[in-house]
Amino acid sequence: MIGRTPRWIVPIVGIIALIWIIPIIGLIVTSLRPISEIILGWWSVETVTFTLDAWTQVWSKYPLAYAFWISCKIAVISTVIPMLLAPAAAYAFHFLKFRFRRLILILIINAFVLPNQVVIIPLFRLWRDLGMIDNIWSVIIPFAGLSFAWAVFLVKNYLEDFPYELIEAAQVDACGPLARFFYIVLPNSLTPIAAVGILQFMWTWNGLLLPVVFLRDELPLPALLARIQGVYDRNWDQVAVAAIITTIVPLLVFIIFQRFFTAGAQTKSGSKE
Amino acid sequence: MGGPDGPPKSSLPIKVKKQLSDTQAAWFLLTPLLIFFAISVVYPVIETIRLSFYDIRGLAPEKFFGWGNYLKLFSDPNFLTSLKVTFIWAISATFFSVTIGWGLAMMCSLSPRKTLVFRVMIFAAYGVSEAVSGFMWLGIYRPDYGLLNGILEGVGLSGLTQPWLGNPSTALGAVIVAYVWTQVGLPLMTCFASIQSIPKNLFEAAYIDGAKPASVMRYIIAPLSLPGVRVAIFINLLNSLKAFDLIFILTGGGPVRSTETVGFFMYRESMLNFKLGYGAASTVILLIAVLIVSIPLIMKRTGDAK
Amino acid sequence: MIHLKTRSRTTLLGTAAILAGLAGPALAQEGELVMINWLGGAQGEMMTKLQEDFEAKNPGVTVRNVIPQAGGDARGGIRAVLMGGEQADLLINTWPAFRAELIEAGLILPLDDSYASTDWGDKLGESWQALSTVNGENYGVTYTFGDRSGIWYRTDTMATAGITPPETYEDFINGFATLNEADITPISVPAKVWAHAEWFESLLLRTAGADYMTRLANGEASWTDDEVKVALQKWQEMLTANCCDDGNTMLALDWDISVDAALKTGDAAYVLMGMWLNTRAKQEYGDTPGEDFDIFQFPAFGMGHDDESMVDAKEFNILSSVENREAADAFISYMLTAEAAVIMADYGLASPSTDVDPSIYDPVIQRSVDEVTSANKLQFVLGDLLPGDLGSEYRVALQRFLQDPSDETIDAITAQLATVADGAY
Repeated sequence: MIGRTPRWIVPIVGIIALIWIIPIIGLIVTSLRPISEIILGWWSVETVTFTLDAWTQVWSKYPLAYAFWISCKIAVISTVIPMLLAPAAAYAFHFLKFRFRRLILILIINAFVLPNQVVIIPLFRLWRDLGMIDNIWSVIIPFAGLSFAWAVFLVKNYLEDFPYELIEAAQVDACGPLARFFYIVLPNSLTPIAAVGILQFMWTWNGLLLPVVFLRDELPLPALLARIQGVYDRNWDQVAVAAIITTIVPLLVFIIFQRFFTAGAQTKSGSKE
Repeated sequence: MGGPDGPPKSSLPIKVKKQLSDTQAAWFLLTPLLIFFAISVVYPVIETIRLSFYDIRGLAPEKFFGWGNYLKLFSDPNFLTSLKVTFIWAISATFFSVTIGWGLAMMCSLSPRKTLVFRVMIFAAYGVSEAVSGFMWLGIYRPDYGLLNGILEGVGLSGLTQPWLGNPSTALGAVIVAYVWTQVGLPLMTCFASIQSIPKNLFEAAYIDGAKPASVMRYIIAPLSLPGVRVAIFINLLNSLKAFDLIFILTGGGPVRSTETVGFFMYRESMLNFKLGYGAASTVILLIAVLIVSIPLIMKRTGDAK
Repeated sequence: MIHLKTRSRTTLLGTAAILAGLAGPALAQEGELVMINWLGGAQGEMMTKLQEDFEAKNPGVTVRNVIPQAGGDARGGIRAVLMGGEQADLLINTWPAFRAELIEAGLILPLDDSYASTDWGDKLGESWQALSTVNGENYGVTYTFGDRSGIWYRTDTMATAGITPPETYEDFINGFATLNEADITPISVPAKVWAHAEWFESLLLRTAGADYMTRLANGEASWTDDEVKVALQKWQEMLTANCCDDGNTMLALDWDISVDAALKTGDAAYVLMGMWLNTRAKQEYGDTPGEDFDIFQFPAFGMGHDDESMVDAKEFNILSSVENREAADAFISYMLTAEAAVIMADYGLASPSTDVDPSIYDPVIQRSVDEVTSANKLQFVLGDLLPGDLGSEYRVALQRFLQDPSDETIDAITAQLATVADGAY
């Protein structure tokens, strides 16, 4: 941001962040030390040895590459769908006038209160009858469908601050509602679209419940790695490896997509306010 | 700022292009979404409502039960306790996570590039799965060799050491702290995104007028980041109602059910006890409760837009 | 023309298929064997090894696992799989209550015909067969069992305190004072979720016996009976004699923290736990069974039930959706062989098969196997016998007891459990 930034901002945020990340540092340390050392806690300093054993074990025991590919397919498709359709819907609800507008909006938004397990058994029967078990679309469709509840809300909220004059200008130019959406609103809504992308990618990438139930051999990464943890024993080091591998990708998406947060501001500042 | 009613219709005498009406455009934009939605949400919800009227014990065949599940729910002390716990849980978790996230977002927005690393760190807590976070915090709260008690002893506060997750008066608070730790990343992101969308010329004008950063924060950033705050409250509040994994790992709903939220209750009855009808009924009640609260809010907001 | 050719080709293929089928049992163990396998971690590894060994011995059969969603109790995921109509041949089952549910829903088959046509009856003792028999029909084949009446301790902890493993209840409770003086908590009770119930059940076994426990599990006996109260009073005695940490601390401990306290750090002396602790101690602490740690049977109370033992067990059920019955039978037979027992012993698990050479077992497993096989009566873990919501009420009720082990609490929780039990059967 322009202007004087007080010097105390960055150190304070830094300290908070460093304290915040302690459990995650713990996760990393857990993945690098033998279990017998960390049984009482990853911070124990009695004997300290670092080893890549857990990493090599997980790497060799589980078909990570294929699962990674499946995760990519599922997450990318499930993310692109709401990134396109949620803004469309939010635009329709906010700027267009049509019957049942409020009713449909209420239904969609309230769907967010539904926990995933409500969806599982009915959909399982449906997919089984359609022969779609072990097909990644059995997971993608609910991921997308369930995302609209919050995604439409999110985009709509950002649209409420949208400078209406741009739309008026377009209307004077005899642009129809669809053209107004595609040419005016969409390009200026990169911020909420990026936010939807970050969240949806993370939730679908990390999503465990649906893939475990609907998929058999086509397992994404978290579902595959969930098998690592036993019922009667806790092999923390390998579990930590699994967690780290799984979390890195959504973080990368976060870093990349959050660049788009500023994009909207630049365009909008083009309107003489 | 504008709304669906739109400005006065164009009164150009010549129709330049063939325009769609608002309704046609709306349906065009909405239909794909509605298809996904119908399959993934409408159908399961109808099925859930149907199931709530049946008594289903494990794998036994379903028996029609009428309102039985609902009557049992309201006389089930566990359900009623869970409502109380949920109230405390949802409000505190949302309040703290949104407040901290918003504060951090405002601070970070004054120096976005330098704080990127820190934002990633905090968002990482949101990215790690609830289950794994649960295990990490389990180690922190461990009564004998846990990190928290260890630190307290180290700084001479051993009087404060506790079996945090075993004492019914501290267990809920301890779980809330762990949950807030995971959730702050979301408001941080949405508020930061909001703030980044504020047109830069507003800041320019303010600084030219000699405003100090604190007032800039208070009068410009705070109000204009409200969309992000609203989204954060919405998502965090409703997610807190569904939260299960973290509670399960940290306390298993205990001690003596002091951390059993409605989300935990629903999951336990539907998935663990496999009393699908009973679990479905509790879900329906939750849905109705949220509807009751949200309908007026949504009517008001979309009404304003008009 | 083409039509005729196709038909004749189909007929030829059909005849070939029939002839192949008639070729005899040598070809019968072919194809896929589907197992609902919810084991993870070390036990999952063990099952993978067993499956691979089986496939090596039976080329032509491939084993496929159906893995239900995990999450606390595996039964939920298994039910989801079965309700969704997933086809499978074998199911690993460790809950008699669940077996009853499956029988009622007609989802598993009685195995008496297989018992007759194979050597299972020779390899499994009567008491093992009795465990999986319901109303005269045998529905399962037990492939592993564990002693749940075993109390574990570290040899050096006992030496420091100057105590030898107690055999009677009097010795046991008298030892608490000595241990406390040596700054050792006598017993670590993990009361967070389920593991504290073991103490109640072991006490009930010693004071009231296996027959009573079976009646209690079936809903034939009431929780307000004197037998239940006596068991709780015995526990009350132990708590008053300073056996354990304070209530809230117990409620904060899950089983792995308790076993660490007893077997790793020596902060506690005794912990009552199942045989998987053996695997943990060997692999995660790096200790040697028999030398660094050992196990003794739950003390004798002199009330007539000291020769009874509590056990857990895993069995195979054959599902009614079975498609490859021959392979399913063959796998079960394999599990009862000596080679399978060797693989299981590696992971610290015992096999009930009479084919087993006891020398493959380490001293701790050996001791537990001896106790179980010499027991007069075997009782399955009560918690796994109770229907769903009664089970969770039962565990929470015991938590309340541990918070405040007074007579009023005993009366209150027994009354409450009786009420819940009424609605559960």
